Amino acid sequence: MNNIVWQRVSPWALGYFVLHFAFRFVKDGIFNLLPILVVFVTQVQNKLFWGQVAVAIAVVALLVYSFAYYVNFRFCISDEHEILLNKGVFKKERLTLNFLRVQNVNITEPFYFKPLGLVNCIFDAAGSVGQEAVLPGVTTQYAEQIREQVLAFKETQQADELQPRTEDTRPNAMEHHLALTNKEVAKFGLMSNMAILALAALAPFMNVMLDFLEEVVINRLESFYQQEVGMLVDAAALAVFSLLVVIVVIAVLLSILMSLIRFYNYQLYFQGGKFKRIAGLLERHQLSVSFEKVQSIVIKQNLIARLLKRYTVQCFQASSGGFAGAKSKQSLVMPVLDVEQVNQVCQWLYPWLDFKALNFKRVERALLIKNMFVYALIPSLLFAGLCMMSDTLTPAYGVLSFLLLSVLVYLSYSRYGYYFYQHEGRFYGVFRSGMIGVQYRVFELYKAQSTHSTSTFLMRKAKLKSLSIQLAAGIVSLPYLTTERADEIINFTLYQAESDLRSWM
Amino acid sequence: MFENHQLDALPQHQKIIFKPLAEKALLHAQLSWLLFYIPLMAALAVVCFFNHAFAAIAQTPLLIALPSILVISLLYNIVSIRLKGIAMREHDIAYRKGVIWQQVTVLPLARIQHTEIHRGPLERKLGLASLRLYSAGGMSADLNISGLSHDDCKDIRQFIQKYTEARQTSVHSSAPLSDNNELVG
Repeated sequence: MNNIVWQRVSPWALGYFVLHFAFRFVKDGIFNLLPILVVFVTQVQNKLFWGQVAVAIAVVALLVYSFAYYVNFRFCISDEHEILLNKGVFKKERLTLNFLRVQNVNITEPFYFKPLGLVNCIFDAAGSVGQEAVLPGVTTQYAEQIREQVLAFKETQQADELQPRTEDTRPNAMEHHLALTNKEVAKFGLMSNMAILALAALAPFMNVMLDFLEEVVINRLESFYQQEVGMLVDAAALAVFSLLVVIVVIAVLLSILMSLIRFYNYQLYFQGGKFKRIAGLLERHQLSVSFEKVQSIVIKQNLIARLLKRYTVQCFQASSGGFAGAKSKQSLVMPVLDVEQVNQVCQWLYPWLDFKALNFKRVERALLIKNMFVYALIPSLLFAGLCMMSDTLTPAYGVLSFLLLSVLVYLSYSRYGYYFYQHEGRFYGVFRSGMIGVQYRVFELYKAQSTHSTSTFLMRKAKLKSLSIQLAAGIVSLPYLTTERADEIINFTLYQAESDLRSWM
Repeated sequence: MFENHQLDALPQHQKIIFKPLAEKALLHAQLSWLLFYIPLMAALAVVCFFNHAFAAIAQTPLLIALPSILVISLLYNIVSIRLKGIAMREHDIAYRKGVIWQQVTVLPLARIQHTEIHRGPLERKLGLASLRLYSAGGMSADLNISGLSHDDCKDIRQFIQKYTEARQTSVHSSAPLSDNNELVG
């Protein structure tokens, strides 16, 4: 620890800090400022002037804070194989990250650093989303050098530990490559729910927005339609419909844009048990993930993906904050793959896995009966009762809703399936679930963190149990298995987790 | 289970005999509930006393509902505490809980990331403690067992520490692990 030489990052990193804190302010702080915004909108007279003053103050504060942060930001790679970071303005912080705890070293190249040949070097800590260290504005060579240093140290340490079965027996000495065209990436925009999320975020302002839209757009559209279309159709309804279509189109376009920004020019390499993914429009993001660190793989297809005949594959790593964290930071996403590409990726990872051809075992029929009763019959009866009380609806709608809900319940039941496989001394589980879409989750049993079994009085009478297995990247569940089968799965999973000496992380 | 693998006999988690919680666990559960419920009843009584309009509407339903809820809750606590149980095995810890949905959680000791012992004022008075065991990936503690004696909590924590150390050694010497026998006591 005596040879600590603190270094500063390049002055250009100031740009990164400004953008970073501006983004953080918008993401985390904006909701806290809502009350002030309400007061501003309702009480302040000269909105333009005071608005400009507020924006000017915010910009100056952001610049000053970012500069102070830059001045205090120092880093050092210690002799004891640790990354040390000193940061913070009001609250000084020292982050110590041992090389062994570093899960990935990712290099990103934001567009504003590109002409300068600088990159951001990101150290992901194992099992923790919040605990990542970023060195902004370092040269590409320096970032590559640190990455090599960290990975080399980790490899020597791991080689020291006796891990009889860790050697990769897969024939992966050759490099595999997968590239996605930007047309395919755009399809992810249609498949993903980014647009819906954006709309959901706007939900609190919906009333204000609708009032505004009614004033500005709908009334004008209505008069336009009245002039052009006359009395043929209801002009007001047409105006609202047109507006909705425009909103949906904008949301879809936004979603496509977001997926292009994230996955533009997508390149995936797999060699020696390691993934390397390079993608991104504004920021070329290089993500490297060791396959041994992947806790589970999800192959999923939602309704739109089904229509487009595409799948999304996600490799989840350990996360400290459940799925939300895993999704954003620690997972490797292959956004749009056709069946051949999915099989190709499966061949790299699990040569035995042909997910379409697996002979899944179903869960017990009692689940179908229970769900029919709880999710189809009871809601439909309630709905039919409401229809009877209402003047405009007939109880026939209750029958219709029962049919619809029954179909959904049946689809959900028929999607549940499980499959276990042993390959070269490794034991795998594949759980299938879904309703209209489908999701396959593949995991190695020894990586289980804990097991849970749940049963009600009636289930115990019928000798049934539901089980769930906690993985470091979320929970996998199977409802309504025979007690014997559920116990068998739990016992074997526990046996694997307890007897296998390989590191799960 | 496996299409291509014949399983050998495995340690059977379904045959675990669970040890009940500490004697004073029920008293702790009842007192905790009353500490929440009595102030709530008192607050409603005060509202009824000062607000006659509210009292006219709500007094009779409250007079029936509140004592009923109290009695049902106290009875529920009795059943709930009786059904709870904990068992330490050589390689894992099991916890059973739940009245309507009975749940058994088994946590391999090798997967425990960290352990916490919590003691509130009431727990300290009754010589009890809560044990929280964390593994990776969970939103909160994987196991949160309240109603254990403080000594039991400390023993379990020590057992986990020893196990972790022994496992580290066995990883390096690749010694095979023994069967998962239940621990006596």
